[in-house]
This record gives sequence, C-alpha cells and structure tokens, in this order.
Amino acid sequence: MDGALVVMEAEGAGPVPDTLKIVVAGGFGAGKTTLVSALSEVEALHTEEVMTSESVGVDDLEGVEGKTTTTVALDFGRITLDESTVVYLFGTPGQRRFSFMWEELVEGALGAVVLADTRRLADSFDAIDFFESRGVPFVVAVNCFDGHRTHRADDVRVALDLEERVPLLLCDARDRESVKEVVVELVSLVLRLELSGA
Amino acid sequence: MSAVPPGEEFPREWSFESSLIRPYSLTGGRTRPSRSDFSMTSQVVAVPSGAPPEVDPELELILSLCARPLSVAEVASRSGFPLGVTRILLADLLDQGYVMVHTSDWERNRPDAATLRAVLDRIREL
Repeated sequence: MDGALVVMEAEGAGPVPDTLKIVVAGGFGAGKTTLVSALSEVEALHTEEVMTSESVGVDDLEGVEGKTTTTVALDFGRITLDESTVVYLFGTPGQRRFSFMWEELVEGALGAVVLADTRRLADSFDAIDFFESRGVPFVVAVNCFDGHRTHRADDVRVALDLEERVPLLLCDARDRESVKEVVVELVSLVLRLELSGA
Repeated sequence: MSAVPPGEEFPREWSFESSLIRPYSLTGGRTRPSRSDFSMTSQVVAVPSGAPPEVDPELELILSLCARPLSVAEVASRSGFPLGVTRILLADLLDQGYVMVHTSDWERNRPDAATLRAVLDRIREL
C-alpha cells in the first residue's frame, strides 16, 4: 500500500512509531493547554526547559530582574493514531522572550494552529508573523470558549489581516470534536499544499 | 489590564529557576549533549538486555521509561528532568549503546499525500 508506514522494529520492544508534530500557539490564556488536553490520550504532559543566556541573546534576559536563568514550561499531548503513527501537539510558551523555543518547536513540524482569543486578538499577531516567516502551514482557530460567538469568522479575518488562503475556523478548545475539526483542517491544508506541489 | 483574573498575574508557563547548578549537576556541568540526534519527538527505546549491571540512578530511570519507545519530550516529562538535561543523559546512553533513537523522516520531509490521507482518516475516527 502506498501509504504504508515504515516501522522500525526494536527487538522485543515493539514497533517504533513515526511521529508528526503540530504546534499550538496563541497568547497567554487563549486556551492552548485546554486544546491540547481535549485531544490528547493522556492528560497534557508537562516538561521544562531551562533558559540561560546561552540559549537566548543576552538582551532577551532584560526584565528577568537579575536572575540568571528562568524555566520555560512546555505542555504537550500525545495522540496514537496506530502502532506506527503518533501525533504530538505542543503548546508554545506564550511570551515573545521564549521565541528560541518556538524555533525548535517548528523545526520539522507538520504545521501549526494559532489559537486566537477574541478578547485579545492582538496576542495572535506574533504567532501569525512567526509561522508566515518560517513558511509553516497554519490555521487560525478562534476559541469561543465562553459560548458567545460574538465574533463572526469574517470579522476576525479582517481584524487579523489574514490572507484568504489561511483557513480560519471557530472552535471550542474544551470540546474534543471541535478540536478534531481544527486538526483535520490543518492536515487538509497540508495535504492541499502537498498536492499542489507547494 | 483587568482581563487577567486575580492570582493569575504571573503566567503559569513563566517561572523562575534560581540556579542552574541543581539540574545540571546530573550532567557533570555540561549544558550541551555530546550529539544532536534528539528532536523533541524522536523515539527512544532501551536496547533489550543492554543495560549495564550498574548505572547511575537517573540513567536507570530513563532506561526503565524507555522499555517501550518513548519520545524525548515524554522522557523529560516523566523523569522530571528539564529537556536539556534529558538530552544530555540520552546522548550518554546512546554513546554507550544502551538506547536506540529513531527520528521520523517526517521531520525532514513532509509526508506524502497517501500518508496524509491516512492520517486524516485516523483523526476523524478518534
């Protein structure tokens, strides 16, 4: 079969899966961890990276108030599609100062979801600019977690100055089916890019 | 500025670590791994019966976690070591032949259309 996945057998340990990485970005409080948890087969996992002056420009430590290091927390989830394919969803640290982490996260990523909060749409600009500049396929998902769809998708698109080719959809980051739709939208976008040779 | 509820002024993903010494004492002070084979999603698996009779407790912990394939990020999460420390320890284990690592080709090349369609089907079935 054409889509057969190559599986590296680890002797006695079962097949070693291939992995797809999807990055979830958005401002603080936009619901990234909620979205990751909604689809992850385990409760969102948590890890940390220690930030030093070595991993960022020294200028970026401005405002760290004399501390030599900070810890950047990273939440992620795991979705096992089958024994040979696992999808990881990584929430990006929100602050711009942690952009060194974004660089690593988009490396080899299939694509990204920008989770927008209509109360703070401007918080999405950083992520949109970043993915555009890195050529990472992305969709914008507007989190309507308060249940009030006070914004129409078209209005949000205008407010974000989003190109027509970037998919935008409304979602509820708490709702598994809704989050599935978001991921399906992203993978569909990547498929269209693949088919168009882009 | 009232959008942030009281008690949440300090974002959760933003915490101070006063010293580098503690986590990196496990790595002999090294802050970089001996090799760069490990992406966040690289799958690591312990080589069966490859474990030496005596290894440091932190290496033993990692080996036990990798009895079945596990991503670097998950190893870090489950061991509680920071990502950077985890990478250094994994590189040591790889150098000594105690683990194998597999980084998906999909990190370098976008999956082909047939694979993407299969992935879409699977996600819809979730």
